[in-house]
Amino acid sequence: MPTAGPLKRMLSPLVNPQVFDFWASHLSPTLSWERPLAKVLARRVEARDTVTLELKPNRHVGGFAPGQHVSVTVSVDGVRLTRSYSPSWLGRGRMAVTVKKIPGGKVSGWLTEHCRVGDVLEIGPAFGDMTQPTLDRPWLLVAAGSGITPMMSLLRQAATQPPSLPPITLLYWARTRADLCFLRELDQLAGRLPSLTVHRILTRESALLPEEHGGRPDETLLRALVPDLGARQVYACGPAGFVAAVRALLAGQVAAFEAEAFSLPAASVLSGAPVQVTLGRSGRVLSVPAGAPLLAALEAAGERPAHGCRMGICNTCVCGKLAGTTEDLLGGGLSHEPVGAMKLCVSTALTDITLDL
Amino acid sequence: MTTAVARRPLSADEVTRFGAEIDALRERTLADIGDVDARYIRRIHAAVRYTEILGRGLLFFGLFPPAWLLGTLLLGVSKILENMELGHNVMHGQYDWMNDPRFDGKTYEWDIVGTSDNWRKTHNFKHHTYTNIKGMDDDVGYGLLRLFPEQRWRPFFLGQPLYAVIFALLFQWGVAIQDLRLGAYFAGRMSAAELREQFRPVGRKMRRQLLKDYVFFPLIAGPFFLPVLLGNLVANGLRNLWTFMIIFCGHFTANAEVFPKSVLENETRGQWYLRQLRGSSNLRGGRLFHILSGNLSHQIEHHLFPDIPARRYAAMSHEVRAICERYGIYYNTGSLWAQFGQVVWRIVRYALPSKPVSMEGRRLVVSE
Repeated sequence: MPTAGPLKRMLSPLVNPQVFDFWASHLSPTLSWERPLAKVLARRVEARDTVTLELKPNRHVGGFAPGQHVSVTVSVDGVRLTRSYSPSWLGRGRMAVTVKKIPGGKVSGWLTEHCRVGDVLEIGPAFGDMTQPTLDRPWLLVAAGSGITPMMSLLRQAATQPPSLPPITLLYWARTRADLCFLRELDQLAGRLPSLTVHRILTRESALLPEEHGGRPDETLLRALVPDLGARQVYACGPAGFVAAVRALLAGQVAAFEAEAFSLPAASVLSGAPVQVTLGRSGRVLSVPAGAPLLAALEAAGERPAHGCRMGICNTCVCGKLAGTTEDLLGGGLSHEPVGAMKLCVSTALTDITLDL
Repeated sequence: MTTAVARRPLSADEVTRFGAEIDALRERTLADIGDVDARYIRRIHAAVRYTEILGRGLLFFGLFPPAWLLGTLLLGVSKILENMELGHNVMHGQYDWMNDPRFDGKTYEWDIVGTSDNWRKTHNFKHHTYTNIKGMDDDVGYGLLRLFPEQRWRPFFLGQPLYAVIFALLFQWGVAIQDLRLGAYFAGRMSAAELREQFRPVGRKMRRQLLKDYVFFPLIAGPFFLPVLLGNLVANGLRNLWTFMIIFCGHFTANAEVFPKSVLENETRGQWYLRQLRGSSNLRGGRLFHILSGNLSHQIEHHLFPDIPARRYAAMSHEVRAICERYGIYYNTGSLWAQFGQVVWRIVRYALPSKPVSMEGRRLVVSE
């Protein structure tokens, strides 16, 4: 992230960042005192339900290495929601994110259907360990569904440094042919990178083309497609179940193994069953009964959160929820999202949750 | 002009059903909250910014009297909007569901000399939980005025018509020191060191506000220092008077009631709702009036649903009123002048001694 210049440091005690941003946004939608924003410059349909957005970030958007993820925040129906996507650099200070619509997904639905050129997204700091593998051993990239995006980012980077590349194999799983993304770009990359081999594997396509494969990940298929499996540095990315299966097959059998999975909301437990509450700041982990008001449950476990009315009126006990599903006991419904403010006294945990306490 | 309203006591069962109807209204409204409310509060925020820059800009030409007058009025409107429809409502957490740091109830800092943190404690917690309970809700007379015959008379109160005028003119300063518990300090129940500690953040906020309105903006106006300073002073004064009027009309009209602490024993949600209703009063008016009052003109709905976006209160008020009619509960509403007239009457009347009224046995519900 760029450091503040001397002028900005001098002015900062006088400036209210929100007032500055209000007026600055009249000049340019991404001009901001400190918020990392990016404007949508172009939108391209990549495959069925999949869209690539080309973005122009402002100076507060931090760097990221190919293969890493950033959190993207958008406002859907008035609510700001955040999801992780794996961006790529496009050159000339531009970046791209590719988004696949998930059934019922609020953010992916908005990004693929409602996001238009000129819209502004907020881009959080980068995270993730799947950055470029070493060049001294062959690579194996295993992707399922939108798990392809960090792999594309790694391959685009690799294409800029061809001479010294080791053999690279990409195994790309999708349900059907129409769900495959980046086909043309993958062909181009394979043309430019002699060491790259791409295998497409479809799990629900009725008739396979000669160069396509079928089936879920198993040892026979992997050994057939990648004979030198044991020598590979493996990156895997996809839905949690897929990544778990690949990990079970490969971890310990290969030269190196890194994986990232998309997490889906855990199923709610029955009222009264114990759930884990992790306190993000203190690191403490408590067990509380699902369905019980969180404030009382935390107090019973020896915590002393700030509180007032204990009936959902005064807003004193609100704290951030970082993960997990909760229910508002005053009729506010279920919440699967991380939220900045949740009333502990009238909320209850339905899954394991993490609080900003 | 005393409490001439017939109040039919409700049975415990009726109170439960009444509470369930209010809860159902709450759920219906919550389910409908979304983009339209988010757009609304963003527009209010924009209106605060536009009126402020226009007002401050016009004040730079303040040697020209119409510019001074218009600039002062616009700045006053900006400050009123910021305090009421934006700040007060955001701090209640009405827009927390947006997950937008600009409208976050816990961190919003408003444009008055009082700190938001103190307000969140005295107002959001004490006043809204213990509404109109004598000895628990500091807003009952603010420790300065006797507004109900249930408060014991002391000769000090003879001067309260004068104190009330001063309090109205300096209302934001009253809000700023409300949580310092100066009474406890003067009674010797708090040490000077404690008071100093509590005053530190308040003093910082006061200094910042004073520097902004009475040093920074007048100075950048250069030769027009004085008109800008005076305009800012009058704008703050207008805001003080307006907020005083709206807030006093919310709980101190002739038919608003106070309660003893004993009502809290085993108070059910239905009883809590009923207490909010009987302690609050509404103001009738047009759309602009409601916005400028921060929708506190719907004080009853605000007390029933303090965490629901206030722009919803107007629609909810029709349903609340219909529910009240079904249960024979008095719904206290009137024009600003009628309601404020009653407030003024209370301030004058209870400056003088009155027959003590006992709250013993005042209950929200009769058992069958």
